Amino acid sequence: MSEEIAVTGVGLVTPAGVGAEQTWKAVCAGRPTAQADPALSGSPVTMSCRVPPMERGPGRLWRFDHGTRFLLTAAREALGAASLEPGDWDPARVAVVVGTAAGGIGTLETQHRKLLTTGHGVLSPMTLPAFLPNMTAGHLALELGATGPSLQTSTACASGATALIIACLLLQSGACDIAVAGGTDAMVTPLCAAAFAKMGALSLRSHDPGSASRPFDKDRDGFVLGEGGGMLVLERGRHAAARAARPLALLAGHGTTSDAHHPTAPHPEGAGLRAATLAALEQTGAGPDDVDHINAHGTSTPLNDSVEATAIRELYPRRPPSVTSAKGVLGHTMGAAGAIEAALTVLSIVNGTVPPTANFTAPDDSTAGIDIVTTAGRAQPVRLALSHSLGFGGHNTVLAFTAA
Amino acid sequence: MDRVYDHLVTLLADKFEVDAERIGPDATLDDLDLDSLAVVELYVTLQEEWQIPLDDSAAVADLTVADVARSVSALLDEPASGREAVQ
Repeated sequence: MSEEIAVTGVGLVTPAGVGAEQTWKAVCAGRPTAQADPALSGSPVTMSCRVPPMERGPGRLWRFDHGTRFLLTAAREALGAASLEPGDWDPARVAVVVGTAAGGIGTLETQHRKLLTTGHGVLSPMTLPAFLPNMTAGHLALELGATGPSLQTSTACASGATALIIACLLLQSGACDIAVAGGTDAMVTPLCAAAFAKMGALSLRSHDPGSASRPFDKDRDGFVLGEGGGMLVLERGRHAAARAARPLALLAGHGTTSDAHHPTAPHPEGAGLRAATLAALEQTGAGPDDVDHINAHGTSTPLNDSVEATAIRELYPRRPPSVTSAKGVLGHTMGAAGAIEAALTVLSIVNGTVPPTANFTAPDDSTAGIDIVTTAGRAQPVRLALSHSLGFGGHNTVLAFTAA
Repeated sequence: MDRVYDHLVTLLADKFEVDAERIGPDATLDDLDLDSLAVVELYVTLQEEWQIPLDDSAAVADLTVADVARSVSALLDEPASGREAVQ
């Protein structure tokens, strides 16, 4: 890549906890967070992975959808980790890029229900400002007083990873000096649960939620709907060095492609994922043999995991990297997943640890032959790690992180 | 009226995060830093909580807290000892 991009802070709000450390520990422990969800009673699937109750946090809560709260809390943590205080920077040089698949859809559902039942008189004036997906970025820019570029990226379940790529490009173009970027989604709603179930995308193990999300396992039957937010602070390496900030890792390359194959099914040979991988490696100046670890998309759906595992098996014939999916613990956090998993990939590099894939016991034919990390996780040097994110629409993103 | 006023103070402090010490009967909504969206949200919330047809087209920031409480009370069946707000 033209100029080195440093990750100087991460912040996480996930079903495993509010905070990067809490999330990291829980993901490393491999404890699934899926639980019965009373708010989904009457839905075809009645479990989910919810963010635990949060402290009240920054003001004006009545203006925000849940997803925006995740985002604001995660951004605050990431900036703290990067030793950046809003106000101590030139606000015009700070960009905000937020990936989200559905913005404040929970707010939209609630308000639409009111419109249909009680009438328009009780409709909140914040219906659109809380729902519109761009408002995640708008609210964050406002909270931070950041006046540089701000925008939302929407590539379904790759949205958070796409946000990091766009942030990277903004930094390299000189449009900003600091980018606060990542993803958020709060799609654990009756409408989303029923709609995903109608597609056959969700696990039907509501009777045993802890076993439901089982990426790459032979008995996987769909994903578990989750929610959360993940934010990273990105800077050009020289900018970080000039303020004596220590990078956690470098975002050394990225690839983004489109399947142009089917609205929701991945390309049968994972052609787009392979092309995105090769592009990310080329930017990094590395080859397949240099990849130590892959934080996979690994949704626990039959098709995704088959296609992804097959691509991994064939891309790395000589030196198979370790593979994990955090979704066994966190469920599928939708547009947040790409950013949350990017942060976990960075933490794998920092800690020399690969977390386990919860609930993985044995592969089927399509997921066999890749090095899936199980049970207790694995201590290993991680110098180059990739994070995969794939989304409805055929969006493929691969992020390449290297040790700082 | 007292019950409505007290409830309004609680709503302003809890939902709109107004410092309770700043809230008084003569304070306007503008004094309490409620912008136009917040004023409409306040009226909608009062409609829902008291289940009254409070007209938010009359909601403006130069109304005082006492003005708002009076508008609510006027719509309740028994102003002095009316129904409890629905939480």
